[in-house]
Amino acid sequence: MIARRDLLRASAALTMAGCAQRARPLREDGRLVVTFWYAYGDLVRKVLLDLVARFNASQSRIVVKAVHQGDYFEALAKLRTALAAGAAPTLSHVVLEVVPYLARAGVLEPLDAYEGARAMPFVAALDQRGSFAGADREPLVCIPFNRSTPIVFANARVLEDERVEIPRTWEELADAARRLTKRAANGETRWGFEVPISWWYWVAMVGQAGGRLVDPGGRMTLGGDAGVEALRFWQRLVREDHVMRPPPGRDYQAWQSSNESFLGGRIAMMWSSTAYVRYLEDNARFPVVAAPLPRHVRASVPTGGTMFVLLRSAPEEEKLAAWEFVRWMCDAEQTIAWSTRTGYLPVTRPAVDRLGQGRWYERHPNDRVAYDQLADAAPWPWSPELFRIDRDIVEPRLEDAVLTGRDARMLLEQARSDAERPA
Amino acid sequence: MTPRARWHPWAMLVPTLGLLVAFFLAPIGVAAYESLFSWDLLTPPRFVGTSNYAALAAHGELLHIALRTIAYSTMVVAGTMSLGLALALLVDRPGRFFAFVRTSVFSAYVVSWVAVALLWMWMLDGNGGIFGRALHGSPLGDPRWALPTLAVVGVWKLTGYAMIVFLAGLQSVPRSLHEAAALDGASAWGRLRYVTLPLLAPTAAFVATTSLVTSFQAFDVVRIMTQGGPARATELFVYAVYEQIFLDLSVGRASALTVVFFGLLLALAALQLRVWRARAGVAR
Amino acid sequence: MTQRRSVTVLWVALGGVVLAAWLFPYAWMVVTSYKTLPEIMSHPTAPYAEHLDFGAYREVFATMPVARYTAVTAAMASAIAAAQIALALPAGYALAKLRFGGRRYAFGVVLACLLVPTQATFVPVFLMFAKTRLVNTMTALVLPFAASALGTFLVRQALLSVPDEIIEAARMDGASEWTIVYRIVAPMIKPTLVSLFLVSFVFHYSDYFWPLVMTTDDSVRTLPLGVALLREQGTGVRWNIVMAGNVVLSAPVLALFAVVQRHLLRAAGR
Repeated sequence: MIARRDLLRASAALTMAGCAQRARPLREDGRLVVTFWYAYGDLVRKVLLDLVARFNASQSRIVVKAVHQGDYFEALAKLRTALAAGAAPTLSHVVLEVVPYLARAGVLEPLDAYEGARAMPFVAALDQRGSFAGADREPLVCIPFNRSTPIVFANARVLEDERVEIPRTWEELADAARRLTKRAANGETRWGFEVPISWWYWVAMVGQAGGRLVDPGGRMTLGGDAGVEALRFWQRLVREDHVMRPPPGRDYQAWQSSNESFLGGRIAMMWSSTAYVRYLEDNARFPVVAAPLPRHVRASVPTGGTMFVLLRSAPEEEKLAAWEFVRWMCDAEQTIAWSTRTGYLPVTRPAVDRLGQGRWYERHPNDRVAYDQLADAAPWPWSPELFRIDRDIVEPRLEDAVLTGRDARMLLEQARSDAERPA
Repeated sequence: MTPRARWHPWAMLVPTLGLLVAFFLAPIGVAAYESLFSWDLLTPPRFVGTSNYAALAAHGELLHIALRTIAYSTMVVAGTMSLGLALALLVDRPGRFFAFVRTSVFSAYVVSWVAVALLWMWMLDGNGGIFGRALHGSPLGDPRWALPTLAVVGVWKLTGYAMIVFLAGLQSVPRSLHEAAALDGASAWGRLRYVTLPLLAPTAAFVATTSLVTSFQAFDVVRIMTQGGPARATELFVYAVYEQIFLDLSVGRASALTVVFFGLLLALAALQLRVWRARAGVAR
Repeated sequence: MTQRRSVTVLWVALGGVVLAAWLFPYAWMVVTSYKTLPEIMSHPTAPYAEHLDFGAYREVFATMPVARYTAVTAAMASAIAAAQIALALPAGYALAKLRFGGRRYAFGVVLACLLVPTQATFVPVFLMFAKTRLVNTMTALVLPFAASALGTFLVRQALLSVPDEIIEAARMDGASEWTIVYRIVAPMIKPTLVSLFLVSFVFHYSDYFWPLVMTTDDSVRTLPLGVALLREQGTGVRWNIVMAGNVVLSAPVLALFAVVQRHLLRAAGR
């Protein structure tokens, strides 16, 4: 049968065609290609792609190709395996907790020598030096991209109806949640409070309870008693007071679920990221009020979001081109566009000043909350183990404690001993 | 027949055997070797002996993964076999209506796991899903119900396969046997029990074994619907391997899990075959 | 055997229940894809969209290069299926028809591979492709599946029932072994080969796991991966868009299935 032979030949040709990886540096129509892996969907993705298109249109030497790789964790997984396979992109963005690990592994391009790197007027708490404690001697490897803090979102109409004020302390939170929880006759509940059972929010509470992840001697204490107190508070709200519902889904599925429930009026208050300010305001059919997180012993929030990183394995020309794009993104005009269209923090001081002068914050008070909270921002320890401890050791135990009610102290003790064992 | 040249059979087999060995058998050996090292793909590997296995066994993690996977497989195999047989008996009738039912049930088997997982996720969604709202929240968020829910989705997708295989088995039962039993006065139920079912035993063994192997390999449904949560309730073997490699970047642990996974699968399949063969032997 | 009317009605009713259980999810999927997001949030259980809104489909096609993903996926699945047949034919022929030392061991190797799932092998295979810089290429997607243990097994089974006389006659006519395998014997087991091609094509078209772990580049991304990424929104899942993506993913496969269902049903039953 001739047909089968031809089919065989054709498929062999096809296979061979996909045989080799493309040669670097990549060029397209005479322009240098910078591959940029990003991890957003939906609204944030649109804003990003708009900005990328604007950059590509503004000059003719470089074209940035943005490739969607899933959420932060999936993108990070692909990035690491791509590094091992020699197929890494030039530019990407990663969560703060993993930066020390990647830096130690030697895969990040040091940026001190790049033009203008030292002089960029970043907001103090948002750049590498301000975000990490103990990073003074480390080379510069990351540039702030989308930065955030956790904040409270409240359904203003519900709070007004129930005559409840935004809580400012933990006890006020428990009380408010109780008064806001309503159970209808048909089995549906409006929950007073919801927060994704996630490392980021737990770290916030550890700080508020007066603890630190790492003690001054450098040991991972995971907040000690404060850590246990924070976890026990969640357990109490969920399992005893029944005023909080842990949202289903892992990682960002849980955050999405909370957002949806909030928009649907099924939650009165929630903790989420300032990144969703615009999305929630635009899609809610009630007024949305943002507020800082409550305090306990003190006020404390971690910073979040991601940082731009350049990969060392990329060819020199691509890295220089990527740096041009990063600098452009940090220009006041772009960072203002980015933050006003989403809710992420503006990362440079000139940008903040300009927004203030343009009376942006008067018209959008919710945008201001995260920025004001930076005064209470707690830096992350510069520890290469931080990411592993977050994902592998602590996060599963947080879920365990809240969903099954096991003893918080025992779980965190286990976590501590696991953290001290080498990977 | 004798080959025309000594090298002919080998020339015909070498591409196939070469590829099969390279991509199926050798990797198992490599995994066993890699399981003795600690490697994160970015820095050089470190020899650690059996400490990967020890770390997996600590806190009962390995045991729990194995039990969960076996539980999931058991639910899916039991579900697809009983439902598959029942459906086969139902639709083994002439006519376009029943042909349409057959096709509809089997279509779930043909469609991709991604489509099925996303579809069921939507129907079970606590906020907008048609079942999720009735249940006041997605069962996927409850550690007690997440795994059985995944099993239900698995049964929905895989029953078509069992049904088709049982249909073929039913149709191979000689009519003469049915007629003889009817002449002897056996009722429809009696005929089912004493003629049909015993003769279906080899078919059932085949379906059970292939369903076991397929369900043991469940990955897509976990990755899309629950990502191993909540609180690890749905962390099945293959997903655990994926997580170790791609999220925790621990190639050694992933390899150790792979070795245990393969060993367990081999043992279960062999055990199942032996059990069924014994039963089929006794039935005769 | 006559059946009483009421019993027949019972079977048809049961059949109807089964039909509903298996078709309802698809119907729901399609209905959702025509709704708008506010509609879904306010009236999630409405049985039909207020008016047919194609916004979800527009968004799917705007967010994903559907045509390219489909082409890549179809090319990959075809290449795999074609390679499998091309290799299974001579291998099955050798195992079924030729007598030679070591035949039992060769067959044993094939049988052993039936039990090994790809999820057990992907770690070392990925590392191997990583070392040879073949990650993100078609090779990584196609080559591991070019040989099929199941296909070889089924071809061998089918060839066992082909009479030896035909082969001997062809030999006497001076045909080479390749001619015998591909031009004389192959047409005789055409149903098996067609079923094998279809099963393999559908399976690999829908494969999520292997492309997920072997590719990161958008140029070799397959459709199931693209559709799965629709779910990862970051703000709130827009189910109408996810379902529209689902329809795009499933419709071609279901259409193909409807056309060839007779072949597939026979093959699976064997």
